Amino acid sequence: MLRNAREYADSDGLYGRVNTQYAEFPGITLESGVFLGPLTVAYETYGTLAPERDNAVLILHALSGDAHVAGIDAKGKLGWWDAMIGPGKGIDTNKYFVICSNCLGGCQGTTGPPSVNPATGKPYGRSFPRITIGDMVNVQALLVEHLGIRRLHNVVGGSMGGMQALEWAVHFPDLVRSAVVIAATARLSPQGIAFNWVGRNAIHCDPCRVDTEPGQGHVFQRMGRGLAVARMIGHITYLSEETMEEKFGRKRTLRDMEGFLYSLGENGVEGGEFEVESYLEHQGSSFMRRFDEDSYLVITKAIDLFDLEGSYGDLVTAFQNIEARMLILSFSSDWLYPTAMSLTIVRALQALKKDVSFVELDLPYGHDSFLVSAGMPALTRIMRGFINGVWRS
Amino acid sequence: MSGAVREIRTPFHEFEVGFNVIIDLIVPGTRVLDLGCGTGTLLQRLRDEKDVVGCGVELDQEKVIRSIERGIRVMTLNLDEGLEGFPDRSYEYVVLSRTLQQLMHPGRLVREMLRVGSKSIITFPNFGHWRIAVEYIATGKTPFCSTHPHPWYNTPDIHRLTLKDFRDFVKTIDGKIEKEIHIINNVARTSAFWAHRRAEWGCFLISAA
Repeated sequence: MLRNAREYADSDGLYGRVNTQYAEFPGITLESGVFLGPLTVAYETYGTLAPERDNAVLILHALSGDAHVAGIDAKGKLGWWDAMIGPGKGIDTNKYFVICSNCLGGCQGTTGPPSVNPATGKPYGRSFPRITIGDMVNVQALLVEHLGIRRLHNVVGGSMGGMQALEWAVHFPDLVRSAVVIAATARLSPQGIAFNWVGRNAIHCDPCRVDTEPGQGHVFQRMGRGLAVARMIGHITYLSEETMEEKFGRKRTLRDMEGFLYSLGENGVEGGEFEVESYLEHQGSSFMRRFDEDSYLVITKAIDLFDLEGSYGDLVTAFQNIEARMLILSFSSDWLYPTAMSLTIVRALQALKKDVSFVELDLPYGHDSFLVSAGMPALTRIMRGFINGVWRS
Repeated sequence: MSGAVREIRTPFHEFEVGFNVIIDLIVPGTRVLDLGCGTGTLLQRLRDEKDVVGCGVELDQEKVIRSIERGIRVMTLNLDEGLEGFPDRSYEYVVLSRTLQQLMHPGRLVREMLRVGSKSIITFPNFGHWRIAVEYIATGKTPFCSTHPHPWYNTPDIHRLTLKDFRDFVKTIDGKIEKEIHIINNVARTSAFWAHRRAEWGCFLISAA
């Protein structure tokens, strides 16, 4: 069930064992003007940097992702895009030097709300400053420079990662040779903001205990499952109606020993009668175990704030300095970041006569299509074709 | 006779002669937009042989992917929705090869081509070929032939136009024919006798009048 083995059949950990590394930086001035430091950035690399240092590909993860994008980590876990990255795969580690880092504000090793604020000796928690997609990209740029790379062969990301790929191309035109923007938008839609708002509300509605110590900020102790609810809402938006129908239909979860379909969970909480319910339940619960709710607040807010159109007046102005060869990719069944949003990006690039390709893939899996293994054959061919094409040119 | 006609491999099925005609019309180092680019064969040749900066438009997913695998710039767009987003005069040439007869709104698209490109190159199968005409009269049925190989009820070629039709059509959309090439028995000709009845394919270079 759930993200079952079949969906990730191409994820085989072919690259082998990888370790997350950490880079330390004094800090950065955020777009808001606030200084944040010192900074730790968790990252992984795969393959070998060529002597010319021109074969680096930067992978940009989505909302809940991390630096572990390929291979097998110390706990035996496969990377989140292992199907795409490895020897001979779409992004071939025999050829390219692949980098992936956890984003700023995250909770998987890079400085974020769970990190200790050196000023107080306690985690930042809710006192973590507001950040933007641009701040995340600026931190990634520190890492890229730290690794001795002057120009990236490619930056690629889906969803929030796609926003970052776009921001990279806009913000660092000299550093990016090509960019692949998957299932993304140049400005989050009000519908997207609305879903994020409901998710954050679920977290804010959680009962919590607040410990206030003078001069040391607030420490929130969560008691509820708001983060799980937020994740469930998110998952609904990542799937298409068609996928839900096919995956779950109206199937029921297993009967209990008395033959009752309807079961009460451990604490008298409904455990989920329909398979779709228990799917969401599982997604919510496992997310609770691996993610930090304050990171969720900070990152979804950064996504909400993303608006290249608003920041620059219009997209044509925003894109005028782009030098990278661009590939904009959308999925026909994605209703969260629908094709029309990708086309808005494409039209603005066209107006500037930039080198842009646009592919709408006819895949039924919704916004998450780039992570679903059934979409990997097409996506792999596109990624390989595009980045090798840029390489040859 | 229809059987014999069906066996003919026309230049455009072999691609070679048809593409050669188009490639010969294009000045090296220019920008070319290929509408209905298929797997990117023409754009690849233009890139390799004429140093052309190309872009393709294609709706079929498999063909789009094949184009990308060839390193061709491509867009997944439906030509019947026009060329919105392509700036005026942004290409020296806009090519519409073997696709005109399949469009729902050919007039709208060709007008758009004249806006986006300085020149447009359009090729299409000539339904006015004498064999087709003879078959039509002899059998009373919609002819089958190598240039129109599908039955009427299941064909992408929804328009069956002749060279003469196209000449009239260019006038109605305020275009001007700069060059007209006929492909007759695999050979490109410019002033063949009785061309409108002998050409399997027409290739027109047009521009805004």
